[in-house]
Amino acid sequence: MRTLIINGSPKSKNGNTEIFIKKFLKEMKAPHEICYAANEDKLQIANYMKQFDTVIVAMPLYIHAMPGIVMKLIECMEPAQDCGKSMGFIVQSGFMESVHSKYLERYLSSLTKQLNYTYLGTVIRGGSAGIYMMPEKMNKRLFKQLSTLGEYFERKGTFNMETVEEMAKPCKLSKGKSKLLQLLSGIGLGDNMFWNMMLKKNNAINEKLDRPFVDKLSD
Amino acid sequence: MKKVVIREFGEIEIPCKYKLDLNKTRVKDCTGCWSCWLKTPGRCIYNDLDEFYKAYLDAEKVVIFAKVSQGFISGNLKTLFDRMIPLFLPYISYKTGESMHLPRYEKYPDIEVYYQGEFASIEDKKIYEDYIYRTFYQFYSKCEIKTITQSSLEV
Ligand SMILES: Cc1cc2nc3c(=O)[nH]c(=O)nc-3n(C[C@H](O)[C@H](O)[C@H](O)COP(=O)(O)O)c2cc1C
Repeated sequence: MRTLIINGSPKSKNGNTEIFIKKFLKEMKAPHEICYAANEDKLQIANYMKQFDTVIVAMPLYIHAMPGIVMKLIECMEPAQDCGKSMGFIVQSGFMESVHSKYLERYLSSLTKQLNYTYLGTVIRGGSAGIYMMPEKMNKRLFKQLSTLGEYFERKGTFNMETVEEMAKPCKLSKGKSKLLQLLSGIGLGDNMFWNMMLKKNNAINEKLDRPFVDKLSD
Repeated sequence: MKKVVIREFGEIEIPCKYKLDLNKTRVKDCTGCWSCWLKTPGRCIYNDLDEFYKAYLDAEKVVIFAKVSQGFISGNLKTLFDRMIPLFLPYISYKTGESMHLPRYEKYPDIEVYYQGEFASIEDKKIYEDYIYRTFYQFYSKCEIKTITQSSLEV
């Protein structure tokens, strides 16, 4: 089984998607090729993928869907000539609940069939925006899940649905959890603390609420 | 009424304050650098959309003529959506029971969408429409998807 991995992150090798891909490949015996949508010609990637039996596209969620560059790549894809090819996806996102990726998942599932590929499913993981800045051990569980997923994929040619389900948790925020999170952000804790820390580090904290594109007078 | 038009197809002229013709303009792709949130709040590293942002925030209505491309919005329009992130704050609200970024500005325009293209199934049409409604819900705009008739375009 020849598999091509496509990294759909605009941040290319420097983003979270790359970390997901590397962990997914970690326990595999055979090496796999990776293409980068951000740095390579989209038409060339779309043509090149025809040589492979299986394609896995990994990407960050951007405004409830794929990044613009991934849509441009999708626009170059043509339906497979021969049957028996398959395609799967890995989508990771910032918001902690994975339900935000459902709009994209519905589209990817439909697109795959239109391209005459078998749909292998979409691995979805929320709460992933900070991974590239975190020490390795803070994401031990996630990385284990990814390498398990990869090892299974190499043997069976498909995703292990149990792991997929586990990774997608939480799918939605419970009432209690969203209340708690709201409370925390109200007193300057939670993820808003992270934004403020970064803004301070960049000397931009005083401009955090700037509105550069409206006239000050009419405010 | 102050209007902005974002156009990927058709020629129906609507009087408007600003027009973004996506057939002639290739919007620069978001690089995911987060400068617009964390380094120069509200501003993208690129300035190709500065006039558009001004017009968008000033408009009461934004009319979008969108293509259907591989069953979805085009890559160029998707990039435009990605580049809207500077108009919102990084801070997250959970008040609605789900994560949602807070608005950076006081008001956002109403959105009217017309699209052109075929779908393989009713479900595919729904995927397309649901996506557009969802996006503008998160962008704090009222959004309507309409079919083209002359009367619907009158000012
Ligand atoms: C323009 C833009 C739009 C985004 N839209 C969403 C979104 O709609 N929902 C979400 O949960 N995260 C969103 N994110 C967060 C990314 O999905 C998240 O940071 C991801 O880990 C980035 O992956 P990368 O480093 O591989 O590019 C967005 C990020 C950017 C830059």
